[in-house]
Amino acid sequence: MKSNWQRWFVILFVFLLLACGAPATTPDGAQPSSAESSGPITLRVGWPGSPDTLNPGTGILAEAYTVYEMVYDTLFKLQFDGTFTLGVADSYEVSEDGKTWTFKIHPGITFHDGQPMTAKDVAFSLNLYKAHEDFPYLNFYTVYFESIEAPDESTVVLTLTEAIPSLESQLLALYILPEHIWSQHAEGNAAAEFENLAMIGTGPFKLKEYQQNEFVHLVANPDHFANPPTIDELIFQTFGNEDALVQALVTGQVDMITEMPSTAVPVLKRTENVNVVSGAPLGPSVRDIIFNQLALENCPPEGGKCTGHPALLDRNVRLALAHATDKQNIIDVAMLGLAQPGLTLVASGQAYWYNDTLQDYAFDIAKANQILDDVGYKDTDGDGIREMPDGSRPLTFRLQWPNDIPEAPRIAEILGQSWGQIGVKTEPQAADPDALTTACCPAFDFDIMIWGWSWGPDPNDPLGVMRTDQIPSGSSETGYANPEFDALYDQQAVELDREKRRDIVMQMQEIVFNDVVYIIPYYQDTVQAYRTDRFTGWIIDAPTLMLESVNVLTQVEPVQ
Amino acid sequence: MQPHKLDISLNLCGCKPHLRLITMNHYVVRKFGWAFLTVAFVVVLNFFLFRILPGDPARAVKDPRLTQQSIEAIQRRFGLDKPLYVQFLLYVRNLAQGDMGSSFHQQRPVATILAESLGNTLLLIGAGTLFSILIGMALGILAAWKSQSVIDYSVLIGSLVAWAAPTFWFGIILLFWGSSQLGLPIGGKLTVGATYAGWWGHWLDIGRHMFLPTLTYTIIYAGQYTLFMRSAVLEIFSEDYILTAKAKGLRSMQILRDHALRNAMLPTVTVVALNLGFTVAGAIEIETVFSWPGLGQAIVNAVDRQDYPVLQGAFLLLAVSVICANLLADLLYSYLDPRVRIG
Repeated sequence: MKSNWQRWFVILFVFLLLACGAPATTPDGAQPSSAESSGPITLRVGWPGSPDTLNPGTGILAEAYTVYEMVYDTLFKLQFDGTFTLGVADSYEVSEDGKTWTFKIHPGITFHDGQPMTAKDVAFSLNLYKAHEDFPYLNFYTVYFESIEAPDESTVVLTLTEAIPSLESQLLALYILPEHIWSQHAEGNAAAEFENLAMIGTGPFKLKEYQQNEFVHLVANPDHFANPPTIDELIFQTFGNEDALVQALVTGQVDMITEMPSTAVPVLKRTENVNVVSGAPLGPSVRDIIFNQLALENCPPEGGKCTGHPALLDRNVRLALAHATDKQNIIDVAMLGLAQPGLTLVASGQAYWYNDTLQDYAFDIAKANQILDDVGYKDTDGDGIREMPDGSRPLTFRLQWPNDIPEAPRIAEILGQSWGQIGVKTEPQAADPDALTTACCPAFDFDIMIWGWSWGPDPNDPLGVMRTDQIPSGSSETGYANPEFDALYDQQAVELDREKRRDIVMQMQEIVFNDVVYIIPYYQDTVQAYRTDRFTGWIIDAPTLMLESVNVLTQVEPVQ
Repeated sequence: MQPHKLDISLNLCGCKPHLRLITMNHYVVRKFGWAFLTVAFVVVLNFFLFRILPGDPARAVKDPRLTQQSIEAIQRRFGLDKPLYVQFLLYVRNLAQGDMGSSFHQQRPVATILAESLGNTLLLIGAGTLFSILIGMALGILAAWKSQSVIDYSVLIGSLVAWAAPTFWFGIILLFWGSSQLGLPIGGKLTVGATYAGWWGHWLDIGRHMFLPTLTYTIIYAGQYTLFMRSAVLEIFSEDYILTAKAKGLRSMQILRDHALRNAMLPTVTVVALNLGFTVAGAIEIETVFSWPGLGQAIVNAVDRQDYPVLQGAFLLLAVSVICANLLADLLYSYLDPRVRIG
């Protein structure tokens, strides 16, 4: 009996040892290396996200669009300098009135399943996006489309309801889908519910396998008409936390990572065979300090609470706060240096449209104090906080931010200190983003918020949110109302001459900068890293940076 | 054989065999009844709980490009335009038919999403639980047996540290160590794009990916089981009948095997069973650190996106597994300890 008992113990122990030890002692054969001479050349990208869906109609996350760019083609493509090049079209003509665009489609393009792609597929796709209001983004890009027709196999005629200056940017994400597949899913809810697991497109990469929140496995489409990739396979792998992502690059389990925590940058910079690059993102990311400057007569009748501090209606107060904001300190402390000081909502990444002639308000506490002294905001009761000129209430502002911005508490701390030096008190508070949306707009139940935006390449969106008519809709966060600005907005929206439109856009930036509608502490840099011992040909010196863009991944080559 | 004699002497109930059977059935029926009621309560709570959350799933992002028409169209597609009670009735009706609905953001049936991720989670916590029970019990018995020795103190301190260590932190440490020292993979379940010589190559790859998360799980939970087992065995050792056994001249190994172990299992079984229920979700941290595509990851993603159907399904699954684990503990308990049946 006793020997039996002991035998079991020994067996158990051996079993445990085997179970724990076995994987560790296996040779490294199961881990394929991308630069192997035999087998396919595979590039592995590590990222913290995953596409939400393979159906371009309902995609929301940036990761989804990154994958769509690989698998689908479009009529226009965005380049790193903000210009547009033709996609599946060889040429196009615009009518005199700017309303009719006629595209000549490149002949001989085929879908990944071997079926030919013609003008009919282009027209079908654009009509599909136009017909589906339940496609949140792509439907938006078709608002000016009157009709899309394909009179023959190689011609697409797009008629607009009115001439717009930025049609190219509207067509960037309208992916060409195969009519022979999507026509069975085009009606009603079917389009939005279609999983699109086969994901047949014409793009430089084909989908091989997809596991949501795990990986996207693509293979090259060597027959692509414009950009056949040099690599054979492309894998996007999702990592649940950013430390693991960084470690995966360090140990060579992935060849490139799309983002990393700021704290990892110094470590990665010291790591052998790893290059860390930073630059303006293709989609600019703006941090903003929002002043509630809503005039009471503009208070939205529906849902408006309008409890903003009256002092923030005064440009002098906003100007003083701007002079008392140390942007470089915020960038160095909160962003570890990985950002550029900002001017207005139009970001430096929107290269062509960015007004870099504006001279930023210098960080100057004395000047800020002088401004407030001059217009009568005095500390009458000696508690270190200034009061309104009529003495009614102190300059104590609620300062809120959404708790999904990790650096916001540091920003609030820095603001609280420097604004304290000009007799302004802040009451800092983090909040759930949804709760903050409820307080923000169109309720205007706040004083100052730290928040942010991400934009496309066109300046329409950043300028649009400052229009008066966006106050009731909730898009305006500031309540800013300026008829001159509104008129210029309408003017640029229909100005077809790119140069002339740019002049108006520059002027609009000057107006909102002078009115201190926002303080823009910084434009966030994209920080990415790749292994130098695996692949070369990364595009790192263009005006914008996105290593996971199709432009880069079709041209990288394995290191010899 | 000796054990039979002991069994009779330990039959404190003193009931006749058929009587025991009846009380046992009553006990089981009562337990199942409560379990069913609890599940029904969870079904109702699940629906309303997530709808109290601020925000709107149709407004997934704060974005000026989303038009009001788009938001309304999405609400219609999700069925969020209907009155709350209609949504609730539809939810209950579909659930009764075994349909948990479709995810808002994945365009897949919730059942598919949960089945996939549950499979991965069970693989991870199955292996982890097995190893942690075996190691935990062995160490616990060893420590109690060699009470107050260097072995006992080392095991005690080691278990306390393992139990007290934050899972996330501990996982990260193992992640750095395992990936740089052992060359182990640190993300996902498989090497994507790898070709395998055979089924064993496939499982070897899964094993390599599982190693670090399983190790994390095993160490953390083994610490807990060691402590429970040690104190249970120590307590039993102080009982009079152990003294009697010693007085009879039995060897300590015999006392441990025939008299102490079964009783000492009781508290540990409870903890293991309760943990089993919770760890279906409790592996969230480990799954996040090692990007293991399990249920914990699915829940985190669904919370981020206010994906009500996935959350409802996942929490129902969790509630059912906790309830089942409790039921299992009760039944096992009544098997291990006859006193429970007549309580």
